[in-house]
Amino acid sequence: MPHRCVRCSKIHDDGSAQILKGCDCGCKLFFFIKKSALEKKEEPKLDLSEKEKDQIENDVCDIIGMNKEDLEHPVILDLETVNILQPGKFEVDLVRLFNKKNPLVYKLEDGKYMIDLAESFKREKEKKEE
Amino acid sequence: MITIMQKLFKRFFTDLFKKRKNLKMGLYGPPNGGKTTLANKICVDWLGEEMGSVSNVAHETREIQIKEQVIIKSNGKELAFNLVDTPGIATKIDYEEFLKVGIKEKEAKARAREATKGVIDSIKWLDDMDVVIIVLDSTKDPYTQVNITIVGNLQARDIPVLLVANKIDLRKSDIKKIQSAFPQYEVVGISAKQGNNMDDFYESLFKLTR
Repeated sequence: MPHRCVRCSKIHDDGSAQILKGCDCGCKLFFFIKKSALEKKEEPKLDLSEKEKDQIENDVCDIIGMNKEDLEHPVILDLETVNILQPGKFEVDLVRLFNKKNPLVYKLEDGKYMIDLAESFKREKEKKEE
Repeated sequence: MITIMQKLFKRFFTDLFKKRKNLKMGLYGPPNGGKTTLANKICVDWLGEEMGSVSNVAHETREIQIKEQVIIKSNGKELAFNLVDTPGIATKIDYEEFLKVGIKEKEAKARAREATKGVIDSIKWLDDMDVVIIVLDSTKDPYTQVNITIVGNLQARDIPVLLVANKIDLRKSDIKKIQSAFPQYEVVGISAKQGNNMDDFYESLFKLTR
């Protein structure tokens, strides 16, 4: 059964040395992740209407406290902190959110993300000061 | 004589410093654990007024709420702090859960959005906290991703923690299960709603901030 580090969210395979010695980041707390749960995450996404997509974008703008018109071009990354499945359905990746090294990223739909730049820069600044 | 004067000066400045620095005490935990009920109980006990509204529907508190200068007294000692009540931390927020309790769709979706923002805000505020009280529903299984993530991260940040096993007035309550899940922390069983065992809780706060 794969294990996921609570602090850095790295996934270690069953029987790997890190599970006994601790993760490379120094953390010794892990979550069990069932293979079925990992597979479930890869299930096909719903087809959302334009109206629903607009609603999701508005929700994200509201959460990060910005106007939709003020946003720059969408930024694409391969990580996400807040996954919005459809309007009113949110999945929060707590491990990422607690980890200050990660920028705050919202996944709107496959391949479309928004980054909370203000918060990400704040975290970057704090990281430098440490 | 000079030594006495020095001591007096030291005490004066120490007291001045203590008064200026407001200890921030955060109430954290999953939704519906009783954070706001406990915040209200503390405020009613020591300030004579409530802090926020409570309900049986999850994510009732969706914004950070602060009550400044709460002063509690126990055995001749005094403890002053700013009480911070935070929205419940969850991994999944689904508006359909709110539909089940009779909330209309538009309002349910707005509630889900506000609750998600609340989760992000709660975590953002964590670094500002001097001490944290984790409020858990003692009738529920403590081995959840949310609980383990909160406790693990507080431990990594070296923030003093008190675990509160709330709702001990209910038949299903099991404090021992919480104690065995998080043996590194002191666990106090209370009922914030009924006011059970609050003296032990206040005594634990003094120990935590010592």
